[in-house]
Amino acid sequence: MTDSNDNPGTEAPVPACTPGSMPGEIVTTTVDNFINWFREGSIWYLLFATACCGIELMQTGGPRTDLDRFGAVPRTSPRQSDLMIVAGTITYKMADRVRLLYAQMAEPRYVIAMGSCANCGGLFQRGYSVVPGVDSIIPVDIYLPGCPPRPEALNEAILRLQDLMHGERWMKKIKGNA
Amino acid sequence: MTFAEITQRIGAAFPDGVEVVEDTLLDPAVRVRADSAHAVCRFLRDDPDLYMDSLRVITAVDRPPDAIDVVWHLLSMRHRHTLVLKARVPRDAADIATVSDIWASANWFEREQYDLMGVNFTGHPNLRRLMMPVDWVGHPLRKDYERPASYHGIPTSRSDVTPVTHAEIPQHLPKAETTDGLMRLNMGPHHPATHGVLNFLLETDGEIVRHAEPDVGYLHRGIEKIAEMNTYAGTMPYTDRVDYLGGMFTNQGWAIACERLLGIEVPRRAEFCRIIACELNRIASHLVGTGSMAMDLGAYTPFIHWLRERESINDLMERICGARLTYTYMRIGGVARDIDAATLEQTLKWLDHFEPICAEFDRLITGNEIFVHRLANVAVLTKEDAMSFSIVGPNLRASGVKWDLRRDEPYSIYPELDFEVPVGLGWRGTVGDSYDRLIVRLFEIRECIKILRQAIAMIPDGEIRAKVPRILKPAANEAYGRVEAPRGEAGFYVTSDGTDKPWRVRIRTGCFTAMPVIEHLSPGLMIADIVALIGSLDVIAPEVDR
Repeated sequence: MTDSNDNPGTEAPVPACTPGSMPGEIVTTTVDNFINWFREGSIWYLLFATACCGIELMQTGGPRTDLDRFGAVPRTSPRQSDLMIVAGTITYKMADRVRLLYAQMAEPRYVIAMGSCANCGGLFQRGYSVVPGVDSIIPVDIYLPGCPPRPEALNEAILRLQDLMHGERWMKKIKGNA
Repeated sequence: MTFAEITQRIGAAFPDGVEVVEDTLLDPAVRVRADSAHAVCRFLRDDPDLYMDSLRVITAVDRPPDAIDVVWHLLSMRHRHTLVLKARVPRDAADIATVSDIWASANWFEREQYDLMGVNFTGHPNLRRLMMPVDWVGHPLRKDYERPASYHGIPTSRSDVTPVTHAEIPQHLPKAETTDGLMRLNMGPHHPATHGVLNFLLETDGEIVRHAEPDVGYLHRGIEKIAEMNTYAGTMPYTDRVDYLGGMFTNQGWAIACERLLGIEVPRRAEFCRIIACELNRIASHLVGTGSMAMDLGAYTPFIHWLRERESINDLMERICGARLTYTYMRIGGVARDIDAATLEQTLKWLDHFEPICAEFDRLITGNEIFVHRLANVAVLTKEDAMSFSIVGPNLRASGVKWDLRRDEPYSIYPELDFEVPVGLGWRGTVGDSYDRLIVRLFEIRECIKILRQAIAMIPDGEIRAKVPRILKPAANEAYGRVEAPRGEAGFYVTSDGTDKPWRVRIRTGCFTAMPVIEHLSPGLMIADIVALIGSLDVIAPEVDR
């Protein structure tokens, strides 16, 4: 996580802690790593269950899989969320609402398309009312297959999202914008 | 009363009203002239010997090139007889009188059929699209319907989709409107307390709701149309998704309808496998129903307790059928695989573990004074209203009507099993209030435990699937298969035409008829009571929209 942590466990016992006395107290890292470290550990996701996948999303938040241990807790308002898990089928009637919810989230924002329906329309592609993939409305960061995906799979998707967040370079972005 | 007697009564009352008597069908039907359909319906409801007090479902069946059949499935709970009534209207001028003044539930059934099939019900109080967006063109269930290439810029085919990368999304945030001193609020479709994508347009005077109009169709996936494109066996996975909390029941409903069409007898062991799987599923469904109801009212802990137990059921389900949620366990003529002795053993063990936890839940929430006050005497649904709105399942029983398909129109092995049908007695308030609806579900969980223990003790050895041809081609006929699902009757009305694909499939679910009740009961409730009402009715979006 941080640059000074390259070979942990090899040091002698931790020295007495007086401020400023030991060089080992100072942890150096880059601004990017520092910001990303915080962001990864508190991915608040929007409770956005539209169909069957919503039940597995609920079970993932439940006691066995317990998404909370990765710092991912459900929020009911898009304004407080970093991540939108599109759990289920999106119909044309719902499409405008999805856009609206996405627009209400603060940047940086991420989207996981959970399950076949959100990925590509899934079983209902041949129907007349289902959007063939939520990526035709909003940008998707992670596609999670399954009908519905198991809680373990959703867990994995959250971990992948953490990897994705870890690689982001904020200083570059700020300089680029300036 | 038998079908012949009923037909005779109709013939006597309307000498030139009856067109055809279709008594060769599995569910014999009588077709009346379209202009006398309304009068016949009123006669059927009001005649004391016929007394068709419940309207199961209204279906429109497309009969190209020039006709549409409107079909009413009627049921008399008092006399325990059923009738299929039909009327034929021309396809290009499909006008027929509404029956929403006779049965309140007809209001939404007719709106749906107007939306999807284009039948114009004259005299209907509110004939607007129900499932599709208001600016949708055409009626999708008609046989000659072609889907458009795009809708609002979204392509309808996956191959035309280019993934959005950096979307330009307009910031359009409508504010709450004010009209006539009332505030108009959108509750949903994204709302934590509406159980999926349901929308309610509320008109409130401060905290008091003056009118709540349910707006559905946000999860309308067109399963009825997709079933027409699929084979009989191929439709089975779709039935899971009609009711994601009770997939076993919709599986079984579909299997029963198809088995009736094909004349297949299900082996005895398969029936037991079905019932064991179903009753486990019923417990799982009621756990979510009662748990999320408590969560909606602010009690988070009971919900987490129930989720923990539900995981154990999911493990058992995985052993039984290999899936956690979308089971596709039933096959036409039996089940997909056998339940082994170890799984049965484990189920019994889990039941022993689960029974004391029910009591724990009661200590935690059911007798909790705050919880009781939030529910007792709130949104009382009277017996008469419940019948008129065709409410089914636990919601109907909570209103004091002892009607359970497992007992009253028995199917499978239920006649051999001993169980009670719990009804609402006004446990802490009035019969039919929100608290009764909760209590009935909690009692039902205990009955499920009883049924499971008996079924596991009685399960015989033998085949798990009947001999079924590889390609299923039932002769042209019609059948209605129904089961008692956790949210009431799950019925499948299947019309076959002699090919390997069904001609028309109509799905009747308990939640669809429960939704208009919210509009009926809402005036005068507090906003927080609306949440209690939705939670206590246990409505879920895919059952409403399909």
